[in-house]
Amino acid sequence: MRGKSEKIWADIDWTLIIIYLLIVTLGVSNIYSATYNPEHPGLFDLKTEHGKQIIWIGISIFLGLIILFLEGSFIRKSSYWIYGIVMFLLVAVLFTDPINGARSWFSIGSFGIQPSELGKLAACLALSAHLSTITVLRTRSKSGFGMFQLKNLFHTHWKTMAILATPAVLVLLQPDAGTFIVFTSFILVLYREGFAGNTLLFLLIAVIIAVITLVVADNSFILPVLKIKMGGKFGMLLALLGMGLIFFLLIRYFVLKRNRPPLYRAMIGSLIVAILFVNFIEWGYSTFLKEHQKERIDLVLGKIEDPDGKGYNINRAKAAIGSGGFAGKGYRQATLANASQKHVPMQSTDFIFCTWSEERGFIGSLALVLLYTFLLIKILSIAERQRSKFTRIFAYCVAGIIFYHFMINVGMAIGLAPVIGIPLPLFSYGGSQVLAFSLLIFILIKLDSERKIVLQ
Amino acid sequence: MKNTDNRKYIIALFFVLVSLIFIVRLFYMQVVDDKWKERAAQISENKITTYPARGIVYDRNGKKLIANEVYYDIHVIPNQTDNPDSVALAKLLDISLEEYTKQMNKARDYSKRKPSELARQIPPDEFSGIALELYKYPGFYEVERTLRIYPKSIGSHVLGYMAEVDSSDIKKDAYYKSGDLIGKSGIERSYEEVLRGKKGVKYYLQDAIGLETARYEEGKYDTVAVQGKDISLTIDADLQEYGERLMQNKRGAIVAIEPKSGEILTMISSPSYDPNMLVGRRLGKNYSKLEEDTLVPLYNRATNARYNPGSTFKLLMALIGLQEEVITENTSLPCRKELLGCHNHPTARSVSDAVKMSCNPYFYVVTRKIIQQGKYKSHFKDAAVGLDIWADYLHSFGLGVGLHTDFPSVSTGVIPTTEFYNKEFPTKTNPYGEYAWAFSTIYSNSIGQGEVELTPVELANVAVVMANRGWYYYPHFIKEIQDAEIPEIYKKKQQAKVSPENFEPVVEGMWRVVHESGGTARRAKVDSLDICGKTGTTENFKTYDGRRRQLKDHSIFIAFAPKDDPKIAISVYIENAGFGGTWAAPIASLMIEKYINGEISDSRKEQRILDANLLPIEIVK
Repeated sequence: MRGKSEKIWADIDWTLIIIYLLIVTLGVSNIYSATYNPEHPGLFDLKTEHGKQIIWIGISIFLGLIILFLEGSFIRKSSYWIYGIVMFLLVAVLFTDPINGARSWFSIGSFGIQPSELGKLAACLALSAHLSTITVLRTRSKSGFGMFQLKNLFHTHWKTMAILATPAVLVLLQPDAGTFIVFTSFILVLYREGFAGNTLLFLLIAVIIAVITLVVADNSFILPVLKIKMGGKFGMLLALLGMGLIFFLLIRYFVLKRNRPPLYRAMIGSLIVAILFVNFIEWGYSTFLKEHQKERIDLVLGKIEDPDGKGYNINRAKAAIGSGGFAGKGYRQATLANASQKHVPMQSTDFIFCTWSEERGFIGSLALVLLYTFLLIKILSIAERQRSKFTRIFAYCVAGIIFYHFMINVGMAIGLAPVIGIPLPLFSYGGSQVLAFSLLIFILIKLDSERKIVLQ
Repeated sequence: MKNTDNRKYIIALFFVLVSLIFIVRLFYMQVVDDKWKERAAQISENKITTYPARGIVYDRNGKKLIANEVYYDIHVIPNQTDNPDSVALAKLLDISLEEYTKQMNKARDYSKRKPSELARQIPPDEFSGIALELYKYPGFYEVERTLRIYPKSIGSHVLGYMAEVDSSDIKKDAYYKSGDLIGKSGIERSYEEVLRGKKGVKYYLQDAIGLETARYEEGKYDTVAVQGKDISLTIDADLQEYGERLMQNKRGAIVAIEPKSGEILTMISSPSYDPNMLVGRRLGKNYSKLEEDTLVPLYNRATNARYNPGSTFKLLMALIGLQEEVITENTSLPCRKELLGCHNHPTARSVSDAVKMSCNPYFYVVTRKIIQQGKYKSHFKDAAVGLDIWADYLHSFGLGVGLHTDFPSVSTGVIPTTEFYNKEFPTKTNPYGEYAWAFSTIYSNSIGQGEVELTPVELANVAVVMANRGWYYYPHFIKEIQDAEIPEIYKKKQQAKVSPENFEPVVEGMWRVVHESGGTARRAKVDSLDICGKTGTTENFKTYDGRRRQLKDHSIFIAFAPKDDPKIAISVYIENAGFGGTWAAPIASLMIEKYINGEISDSRKEQRILDANLLPIEIVK
C-alpha cells in the first residue's frame, strides 16, 4: 500500500486540471480585454472585473486543494448536509432586496454571491447520493401504458423529483429562468442511469413539435389544391392526422395481423398525446410566457426581425462575432464587444463569447468550442471508468451542467438559442459560477483519484 | 447493464454533434458570410463631415459683397428636457406649434440621448432675442453654423443665393450630400466650385450611444477640409448701389461694362430684393413671397429678358452699310415717311446726321441696300443671301450667338437669319419657306423692331464695341480668384467685322445725339464727359382680356464715355417708360457721371429720376 499523501497525487487526472487552468486563464485574459479600462490597467486591480475574477479563481483553487485533501467518503456522506445548507441559502436569498428585479444575490461589500450557482452543486451531490443507493427497475413487464406503471414510476422516483424540483422551484422564485432551465440537464443523468429510457426521445420529439407549432401558430396557409385557408395550428393537426393515417396504412400492410393491436393502440395514444400537446404549447405560449420571453423565442425562431429593438442584443452579438473574420481583430482590438464601445451588452458575462470571437476570429472560436468539447468528453470518459456509482453519476451531472451552459451560452451568442442569461462556465466573469464549477470539477477530481481504492 | 451501456455513446455523440453545429455556424458567420462584417461596420464606425468656410466675394475695389456669418441651429436632447411649455417655446423660436411637435417627436424617435435639430438657421439678429430666454429650457441649446451674409444688401441678381441641394444636384455631383448648401443662382452658382472649397472627413469609432470613442485606424483615412477660395468681382459696389437707387420704382435693367476689359461694372435688374432675404430659415418664406410678386423680382431682366433694341440698332445698320460700301459717310437720304413713319426733322445729309436725328426712313434704305444688294436676279434669293451677310456682321458683335458670360442661365438674343425666316416665320408650324420673302417682309428689323431681340447685356456689348471702335472682350464678372487665374476666354480680344475707320462717323453721330440741338438725348449731356449715346424707343404690345393692347413704349439708351478714352459703356432699358431720351438717357448719364466723377453735378436731374415712379403700366391703345 502506498502512503496516503502519495495516494492523493498519484491518481489525480492532470489532463482535467490542465483544461481547467487553461479555461480560467483564457477567461481572465478575455475579461481583461472585454472590460479594459485605461484608468485601471493593472491586472490585479480589485476594482476591475478581471481582478475580482482572479480573486475568485484563487479562492476556488484554494478550496479545491482543501477538497483534494479530504476523504472521498466524507464528501459522499456530506452530500445531504450540503444540499440542506444550500437549500436554506436559496430560501434565505428570497428575503433579500431585489437587484435588477431578482432576489438572487447575497452581497458582501463589492463582492456578491449567487446561491443558485451552488444549488446546482448541491443538486449534483444529493442526486448522486440518492441514485447510487437504489437499484433500477429495468425489466419491462409489458409494453404500453397503465396506471400500474405510473404508480410504480412515482414510487421509485418521488425522491429524485424532490431533490431536483426543490432547488429548481426556489431558483424560479427569484426569478432566474436561466438557472432553472439548467436543472433540466439532469435528464441526461437519468437517461444514462436508465431511469429515463425513452424520456429523452420523447423530449426530442416534443421539442420538434413545439418549435414547429410556435413557428406556424400565427401563420395561415392556403391548401394548394383545395384553396382552403386554414390557421397554422389546424394545419399542424391535419399533418399529424395525415401521419397517423400513413402509419395506419403501414401497419395495415406490413405488419403481421397478430402484432397489430398493440401498435394501433400505441399509434392512437401517441396521436392523441401529440394533438393535446400542440394545443397545450399554443395555449401555454400565449398564457404563461411574458411578453419579453415570447419575443426572445420569436427572435430565435426567426418569426420577427428587429435589429435595433428587441433583437438589439443578439444582433450586436452576432455582428461582433461575424466581424471577427477568420483570424480575428487581435487582442484588445474588438470594436464592438469591448467596454468602451458597449455595443454588445454584458460582454464580460453572458456575451463573453463575443469578445473572444471578435478578437480571435474563427480560429479562436474553433479552439474554444473544441476545448469545451474536449472537457466534456474527458468528463464522460472519467465517468465511465468509475467503479463507484456515486462518482459516475456525479461526473454525468457535472458533464450535463457544463454542457447545458456551453450549449445555451454559445448558442445564444450565435443566434441558435434564445437569449437566456447564463454564463459560459469558468470563462465568463462571475464569482459564484467560477466557484461552483471549480468545486464541481475539484470534487470530481478528488472522487476520481480514489477510483482504484473505492469499491462500492 | 447491456441495455443502457450504449447510452454513453449516444450522450457523447450528442455533445459532439452540438459542437459540430456550432463550428459550422461559426465558420459560416465568421468566414463565409460578410453580412455581419458590414453590419459591424455600420454599428461601430461613423464619419463626420467637416465643412470648410466658403470663399468671400469682394467687389473690384476690395469691398465685401458676400461674407460669412454665424447663424444658429437649435438642438434638443430629449431626455434632458423637463417638460417645456411647448406653446411658449415654439413662439420663442418663431416656429409653428405643429412644426415644434413634429420635430420633437422626430427627435424622440431618433434618440433620447442624442441631440436632434429642432429649429435651424436662425439669423443672428433673431437669435439675440432667443438667447435671453433659451437658458430657461434645459436640454435645448444652440449650435453655430456659418451662412452667407450680404453686407451691402445690393446686387441680389448678380450674387445669387444659396439653398439646400435638391436631388438633381446630388445626381449631377456626388460631392453633395442631402442637406448641403449649394449656390443656386448668380455668382454663388457660377463660382460654386471655387467658393465651396473641399469638405473634410473624419472617421471614428462610436459607442452604443453614438459618441466618438476613438479615431478609426488612427486617422489614416481622414481628410482635412480645404477652405473655399476668395474671389473678386468686376462689380463696382458703389455704382451698383447707386444704380439700384435710380432704378427704384422702375422696371428694366442696366448693364455697365468697362470697354477696354469687358469687365461688368454693374448689372441691375429692377425690381430687385435684398439678398439677405434669401438666407437661412427666411429663405423658404421669402422665396415664395418673391415668386408670387407680379413684378417678378426674381427674374433677372439684365441677362434673361429679350427686348427689341429699337433705334439703338440703327448704329449697327450704319456700320454694316459703311463696311459693305453700300453707303458712304456722306450719303444723304430724304426722310420719306411713306417708307416708315418718322418725326419731323431736317434731312439727314450724312450718316452722322442720321444717327443724331434717328431718321427711320434713312436706315430703312441703308438696311435695304445691305440686304437687297442686287447680286442675284431673283429678288427673293438676293434677300436671302443679303440677310445672311447682315446677320454675319451682327454675330461678329457677339449678338445672338452668346457672349460666354460667367453667369448661369444667360439668354441669347435673336438675330434673324435666312434659316429663321425659311423655317420659323411667321410661325414654326406654317413658315413662309425658302425664297418666299424679301426685304419688304422683314424691314422692321432696320430700326430694331420686328424679329430682332437683344438682352440688356448684348445691348451693353454694342456700346462696348462702339467705344472700342471694333473689338470687345466677352463681358464677365470675375476679376481675381485667390491662387488661380481667371479663365483664358476673358483675356482674348474679340473682333467685330467692321474696320475702325467706319466707326468714326457713327461715333460722331452718337456724340451729336447728346451734345447738339436736335439730338435725341440732350438730357444725357454732362459737361466735360463727352458722352456718346443713342436712344431707342420701342413699341410693345400685350394681350389683356383677349385683346392685343399697345402699351407705353420702352425707353432705351446705350452710351459710352468719354468719347476718346472710353471708361464705361452702358445700356439702360426701362420698360413702358416712354421716349428713350426722357428716362433711359438721363439714367445712363447719371451712372456714367457717378462712375467717372464719383459725384453728380446736376442734382435736379438726379432728383427727377429718384422721384419718378414708372411702375404702373399705361395702356396706350
